Amino acid sequence: MIWSIAWKNVWRNRKRSLIVIASVMLGTTAGVFTTGLIIGWVDQRVKVVIHTEDAHIKIHSPAYLSNEEISNTIQQSDAIAHYLDKMPEVKAYSKRIKLMTMAATSRGNTALLLQGIDVMKEKQVSELYTQIIPNGGNFFENAGSYPIVISEKSAEQLRIKSFQLSESKIDSLQKADVPGDVLAKLNPILNIRYNTKNLFRKDVEKYLSKKEISNYGFAINKASEHFRLRSKIVFTLTDKQGELISQSFRVCGIFHTSNSMFDQLNAFVLQKDLAQLAGMGPNEFHEIGVLLHDNEATKSVQQDIKKHFPQASVLNWMELAPDAGIITQYMDLYNYIIMGFILFALAFGIINTMLMAVLERTKELGMLMAIGMNHKRVFNMIMLETVFLTLVGAVAGMLLGWIVIEISSRTGLDFSSVGEGFEAMGWPAIVYPRITFNYFVGITLLVIATGILASIIPARKALKLNPVEAIRTDN
Amino acid sequence: MNVIEIKELVKIYSNTVVQVTAVDKVDLTIKKGEFTAIVGPSGSGKTTLLNLIGGLDQPTSGQIFVENVDITQMSSKKLIDFRLNNIGFVFQSYNLIPVLTAYENVAFIMEMQGASKSVIDTRTREILTEVGLGDRMNSRPNQLSGGQQQRVAVARAMASKPKFIIADEPTANLDSKSTAHLLEMMEELNHRENITFIFSTHDQRVMNKAHRIIVLEDGKIVKDDKIPENQRV
Repeated sequence: MIWSIAWKNVWRNRKRSLIVIASVMLGTTAGVFTTGLIIGWVDQRVKVVIHTEDAHIKIHSPAYLSNEEISNTIQQSDAIAHYLDKMPEVKAYSKRIKLMTMAATSRGNTALLLQGIDVMKEKQVSELYTQIIPNGGNFFENAGSYPIVISEKSAEQLRIKSFQLSESKIDSLQKADVPGDVLAKLNPILNIRYNTKNLFRKDVEKYLSKKEISNYGFAINKASEHFRLRSKIVFTLTDKQGELISQSFRVCGIFHTSNSMFDQLNAFVLQKDLAQLAGMGPNEFHEIGVLLHDNEATKSVQQDIKKHFPQASVLNWMELAPDAGIITQYMDLYNYIIMGFILFALAFGIINTMLMAVLERTKELGMLMAIGMNHKRVFNMIMLETVFLTLVGAVAGMLLGWIVIEISSRTGLDFSSVGEGFEAMGWPAIVYPRITFNYFVGITLLVIATGILASIIPARKALKLNPVEAIRTDN
Repeated sequence: MNVIEIKELVKIYSNTVVQVTAVDKVDLTIKKGEFTAIVGPSGSGKTTLLNLIGGLDQPTSGQIFVENVDITQMSSKKLIDFRLNNIGFVFQSYNLIPVLTAYENVAFIMEMQGASKSVIDTRTREILTEVGLGDRMNSRPNQLSGGQQQRVAVARAMASKPKFIIADEPTANLDSKSTAHLLEMMEELNHRENITFIFSTHDQRVMNKAHRIIVLEDGKIVKDDKIPENQRV
């Protein structure tokens, strides 16, 4: 009956309890949502690391890691491939040639890491082929001779990307709810090609107000982007004999990942083209990317390969992308610390409410002690009351947080306005929050612990009451 | 058989500006089944004496034996358990738990004693019917009149099967009709179940029903009269 009394006591002063419950609910919602956001963010970062940037495991020659020379290829790459074929944990693997090159067009130049890939194998390991941007060509489909896939970032640097508003793009902007009068103001720059974003932006600023730019600038910029596919890029590299050679490649696809550093550095060509150009043999590779069926098997497979091929450097994705590795390892701790801080702040409000409740019931508590309610029962009653008060708010908050996460996991939360900053660090600009059942269990336990801790002061206050004096009071 | 035996009981309040002797060398014996009223002017020490007998307060000196057990030697923790299992309390202002029904208020004390659910249910219904509230078991205190609330309080005091029931001015907040009803009921319980009642009161109507009247003045017993049955009103 102590449980029943404690529960009923929660609702004695309905208004006051509801205020505390509402504050706990909002705090918990914020905590749950923040947790979901962090999990979603980390999930996506890990997904990008594994499925686009690195795969679960990468094998190199140890010398290649300290010096990315053409000659530092993997020893026994055939034997390794043969071993990987037999491993049931391995879903797919891709052998890559990687060479640092200087890329140049008539309008710009940049340093690029050229990766020679087997397209079919690479598609099994990496999802990069899904990252081709709209109107950005394709991933080596029906490509002519010496095709290359570069990033949007590289396209900008090599000035393969230009900015131009055509009638069809004005139509698409109108469909995207940009008002007609705003678009009409842009008539003077219709069909003018700008080589850089800055030049385009300057002209747009001449015709549109600051408010119009803040509302529609992003959409106008995006719509105006134009990629000159089939453009020629000349690559200069050192071949295996140490000779400086040049070869032109034609752009067949433009990709964009959520990691601008990755985008800025990498370009992809056919393995046979790069091997022939650099004078490399059919079994000479700089890297083998290994994708597993299950992420959980990463460390054991890594150890297994290391054991069989001690001459090779075998790194897992947590070592290759330490930012993602560390945050994955400590994510639970971060999330519980955030929730802990929220509950700690809420605990003061709960203590205050419970102290008021004890003060208001002095006479009743005195009577209960007089008729034989022992200290343990008094403490339990107040503790349960505090836990119920906290738990009701927390359950409502978890439910609300879950609903918000469910909705935002479908729509995604767009941080594009500050996305460049995120992407520079390799984190996606659109986040799909997610939360697991385990977190709800953890949060519930934290809430119960908060309730118990918050009940100590009010319960001690109650236990210090002298029944004779308490019965005489007016409360 | 003596239920209560008090020897040389003294209670001095020394934490006040002036030292007050609330109970002054009281010797008293109360037998099983007595219906005793402790009377006296305000400040005479009635409530203090009842608190001491009920184990709610510690005496400055002297001894209180409840069925030969000296409760003045008990620790406060032991006293709480002793009160739960041996003493029933009825307070002036009813002091029921407002969030519980009449049934729950009575059952609660038996649950604290560790009685089984079936025993609790049977006895609760039995006692509430006995005090005339068989049809109001599911009413909360705020749905009952003062007299009905005090009857629930008596039922609660009886529920634990105490050795005696202490009632501190039980009729002080009741109108004449409710007082008469309550007294009749308590007298009936005393008569039928041989329950020992000790009252403190100013109320002449209560005194009229008492089997024994103890008069206190300045903490001392100045009169201790047994009222023969034919002289009771």
